Amino acid sequence: MNNTVFKFKKILLFSFFCLLVPLLTGCWDRDELNDLAFITAAGIDKKTESTIELTVAVYIPKAAGGGGEMGGSGGSSGEGQQVLVRSAEGITLADALSQLQQRFPRKLFWGHTEVFVIDEELAKDKDIRRIVDFIMRHPRTRERSHIFISKQKAKDLFSLKPPLERDLAEVLVELAESKIGVDITMKDLAQMLIGDSEAAVLPYIETLKPQTGQDKKQTIATIVGTAVFKKGKMIGSIDESATRGLLWLRNEIQLAVVTVKPKNSEGHVSMNLLRAESKLIPKIENGNWKITLKSETEDDIVQNETTLDTRNTKTIQMLEQELEQDINEKVKPILDQVQKEMNADIFGFAEAFHRAYPDAWKKYKNNWDDIFPTIEVRLDTTAKIRRPGIVTEPGAFPEQEVREE
Amino acid sequence: MIEKGKISAFQMAIIMNPTIFATALLLVPAITARLAKQDLWLSPIWGSISGILAVCIASKLNKLYPEQTIIQYSEHILGKIAGKIVGLTFILYFLHLNGMVIREYGEFVVGTFLNNTPMYIVMGAMLLVCSLAVYGGIESIGRSSQILVPVVSLLFVLMTLLLIKDLDPNNLLPIMEDGLKPSIMGSIVPSGWFSEFIAIAFFLPFLKDSEKAMKWGIISVISVTALLVLTNVSTYMLLGKLTIKETYPVMVAVRYISIADFLEHLEAIVMAIWVSGTFIKISLFYYITVLGLAQLLRLSDYRPIVLPIGFLLLVIAIWTTPNLQNLAHFLGTSGAFYLLTFQLGIPFVLLCLALLRKKFQQKKDEKH
Repeated sequence: MNNTVFKFKKILLFSFFCLLVPLLTGCWDRDELNDLAFITAAGIDKKTESTIELTVAVYIPKAAGGGGEMGGSGGSSGEGQQVLVRSAEGITLADALSQLQQRFPRKLFWGHTEVFVIDEELAKDKDIRRIVDFIMRHPRTRERSHIFISKQKAKDLFSLKPPLERDLAEVLVELAESKIGVDITMKDLAQMLIGDSEAAVLPYIETLKPQTGQDKKQTIATIVGTAVFKKGKMIGSIDESATRGLLWLRNEIQLAVVTVKPKNSEGHVSMNLLRAESKLIPKIENGNWKITLKSETEDDIVQNETTLDTRNTKTIQMLEQELEQDINEKVKPILDQVQKEMNADIFGFAEAFHRAYPDAWKKYKNNWDDIFPTIEVRLDTTAKIRRPGIVTEPGAFPEQEVREE
Repeated sequence: MIEKGKISAFQMAIIMNPTIFATALLLVPAITARLAKQDLWLSPIWGSISGILAVCIASKLNKLYPEQTIIQYSEHILGKIAGKIVGLTFILYFLHLNGMVIREYGEFVVGTFLNNTPMYIVMGAMLLVCSLAVYGGIESIGRSSQILVPVVSLLFVLMTLLLIKDLDPNNLLPIMEDGLKPSIMGSIVPSGWFSEFIAIAFFLPFLKDSEKAMKWGIISVISVTALLVLTNVSTYMLLGKLTIKETYPVMVAVRYISIADFLEHLEAIVMAIWVSGTFIKISLFYYITVLGLAQLLRLSDYRPIVLPIGFLLLVIAIWTTPNLQNLAHFLGTSGAFYLLTFQLGIPFVLLCLALLRKKFQQKKDEKH
């Protein structure tokens, strides 16, 4: 009797576990890898007054695998297209996406989207905060994806065939992460948009001219400047050299070769930046709002065209001063342009004042647009030249031509 | 006694850690940040006071009635009928609370990972596992948390370490811009969470070393506080004001980790932390409800009512709120007071009455 009960219990338990097994797969959300279309980059363009066009670049796994197997034998066979570009029109991004899904045999998957490109026309015309909402709200899109503003239509950019990289998304990510311009992720953008000043910056990209004789599509898009936003709308852009100044102000500078021309000598000296650190120090004195940009940099000499002796400490001091002046000259024009003309606080002055003077900030934050252009900016730059490279005197000048100073 | 298992005070501390931390981890930073802004890291510290109070009340009551749970001694303190009513409200309260916890669990899993899966499957699967743990009694819950909690805490600290390069300490400035008020306001919701420490009143009688209960209880409160401060600080340093806008800021923060383009997409780890943490939490409240009901009805064993109560919990989880917004709104507003009333208010009244009763008794004894 007892035995049968025991047996019955065993069978019951066994069938219970069998019933549990199908649940383990998470049936309803089962996504097979070969049923997914991985979006590597998404572009958003203005189509008509009321609609936008969403373009996605989808990774083609077949072509990627084939290229490797061919090896050296095929030659041109390795050039098989690796991304598929398709677009659809819609009233909102989500609407366009649903249209687009109808044109794909596989389910569009946002989890690996690293790049979002918005075209300039749309950014100037519409509030990008509306687009950002989709990217933040969707459970699969990533906060670390990089955002760009493009001079051309994003649709045209995605059809480019970058000669060196797999696709444009890869190119843009690498460019952003090399910090030649501002590097803005989705999270950074959202933070700037809700920040104290409501001003934002995004890298501004443009197609690079292809090499002569090459196919028109054999090129990439590069970062050529910075797009400036205020209250979600693009109000202008600044060029490459002004972007360098912006990076100094935002303490984001990482790569720089600075070339200066020392007084009373022919030729230039180029220095490579090793480390740079800048800090904004706000001050309110008798109702005057002032801010000091305190920056420190360490450099190495990489080329010396002149006959100056780089062993000499006085020469080094002189070069350091030249370097400091050069940095100041890079920062000043951007202040004129952005602070005075655009009146967009993309340097984080508002946050700096908020942190240092919470009470004054509370009182004046509604007048920030009036205060910001009047803020006096002082530059306090310290440059240090650490090493002259692995030659001491000018490398290829005869001894008697080398000057001490 | 219905429960024959025994746990140590250390095990009790380690059960309580995820009981508070697991759910607080996901929802509290956003709720706190809304009120406390950049001072949100102070809020768990204020909130921990209610945790310490709960531990004190529970262990004081336990000293007076060492062999009994709160359901049993409320009958002694208040008399049979009133005591039964209080016991019943406690059981209904824990049913409701656990229903909300299960719903939070389901909402997170369905909202972020399994968008198309019916929620009752997600919650039901969890409840089945929990019911097995409850079947095993307090000892099996204690042992499973002994295995899970160190792993979970380690993973969590590791996540924070991986985030360091993206953190900006400036986000936390200015400290106390509007004085202490925002951070104290922000601490009301975490206080409610912390007061869940009253749950120890249900298993203090099963401790092997009850003299250490108070000590380990407070250590547990401190460990939860430390973890919550760490969560809040790192989330706010990363996301700044964006913390307020996210539903699950910690998830977003962990998703943001990227080390050398290689160590990325780590949100599955948040999921692991969440699932194992809530497993302990749900099991514990589930156990409390079942044990309490068995004691209230004077059953000889609590096991037969495990599955029926589990089914009831699933139904409550589905009925408790029409959507996530409603749940989050309730938890962020009146919910805190609801939690505090049951978890601090009633036990405190019980303790006062018990002390009065004891004094009265002593006087009576002296007279005789």
